[in-house]
Amino acid sequence: MGLLTNLRDSISRVTDGLFAADEPKRIGIYGPPNAGKTTLANRIARDWTGDAVGPESHIPHETRRARRKEGVEIERNGRKVTIDIVDTPGVTTKVDYKEFLDHDMEKDDAVRRSREATEGVAEAMHWLREDVDGVIYVLDSTTDPFTQVNTMLIGIIESQDLPALILANKTDLEGSDVQQIANAFPQHETIPLSALEGDNMDEVYTKIAEYFG
Amino acid sequence: MPHQCTSCGRTFPDGSKEMLSGCPDCGGNKFQFKPAGATDETASAGNDAGSGGDEGGPVAGNEPDRSPSTSDDRPTPDDGAADPNSSEPADATPSEAAAADASGRVDPSSASEASESVDPPSPSDGTEQIADRSDEDTAQASARSEVVSSDELDRASREVDPADTAEPPAEGEPQPGIDALRDELNEQFESIRIVSPGQYELNLMELYDRQEYIISLQEDGRYVIEMPDAWGIEDE
Repeated sequence: MGLLTNLRDSISRVTDGLFAADEPKRIGIYGPPNAGKTTLANRIARDWTGDAVGPESHIPHETRRARRKEGVEIERNGRKVTIDIVDTPGVTTKVDYKEFLDHDMEKDDAVRRSREATEGVAEAMHWLREDVDGVIYVLDSTTDPFTQVNTMLIGIIESQDLPALILANKTDLEGSDVQQIANAFPQHETIPLSALEGDNMDEVYTKIAEYFG
Repeated sequence: MPHQCTSCGRTFPDGSKEMLSGCPDCGGNKFQFKPAGATDETASAGNDAGSGGDEGGPVAGNEPDRSPSTSDDRPTPDDGAADPNSSEPADATPSEAAAADASGRVDPSSASEASESVDPPSPSDGTEQIADRSDEDTAQASARSEVVSSDELDRASREVDPADTAEPPAEGEPQPGIDALRDELNEQFESIRIVSPGQYELNLMELYDRQEYIISLQEDGRYVIEMPDAWGIEDE
């Protein structure tokens, strides 16, 4: 039995190695709504491919379907890392159309948006289960990171043994508190950035190459 | 029977997990939810209505919407649908189907013919919910053997017609109907709770844990789920 197990292990190591070399890792960009996931996805995609991933908006739940940008090649220190970026809808435990009404939206549109957002969260959670090889977890550094959603998602990511990079976004805003995020998830490295302004993207790319390469 | 497959007309007991991976009979993934109260009402009305010509009652309300889907969507008849006893409900108006099915369930002869692979309806929600997952896997396995048509998926992702949406509570007292329907849904969907149209509460752990996932929510109690990993099963 021991022999078989060893054999299986070594075979799976070989196949893992093959896949690692051939297939780009699929990296899910997760986080609560309005953390700047799409802004980050667009920033990465524009920096390395020239294309955008999807529209950004200050209205929560702009991204209601996971969007993918495949084959993004990132070069760091002479090394090339190819990843597929999956921009996911913001994960939340409550979706209420009323929050969209403040954004000059008709009720019907708000209700539809709400339903689509809910479907999007279901999809994002499903992807997390089996379709991503690593996670970039984006948090708005001006808001309290100690939320049920963050704790649960980080917990799931850890239980899956997925490599995870925590980004403290929106450092360009007043009230940004990177340390608070670092304190909330001390078991992970926290990288500050402003995806909107492009601040500290160099470090982000270095870490992406290091974590997902 | 609160859940009914819109393709073959098969109904499922409240809280059943059988249809979570699609209808075990026809593989359809579009279901109609009928609150228990409405079904009873419909069942009694349906017997009197005959061809469904009654004006006003729930029968007339259901018919225009349901008949296209029951006739168009029904896939090639399988063992269940080929049986005269069970095909009759599928052809009949929804109310008749509900009525026939409601009585058929207690009639041992038709029940056994109609459902070879059907688990007996559980006595209560509680036991169904905690039933072990191996049952569910068998149902999933059988459901996965059929793939939903792209046409069906397309239709599911479309906006619900206003007529559709208004359908279940079209007559009689609309508010209790839709409220009861939501309550029923809430009890069953541990993963997504519909508080009211446009207001949802999500159980992230449950969404994450489930193999299948919801790809379309519709306010009238219909929902579309994705077949999990259909390609993992040998084609038949």
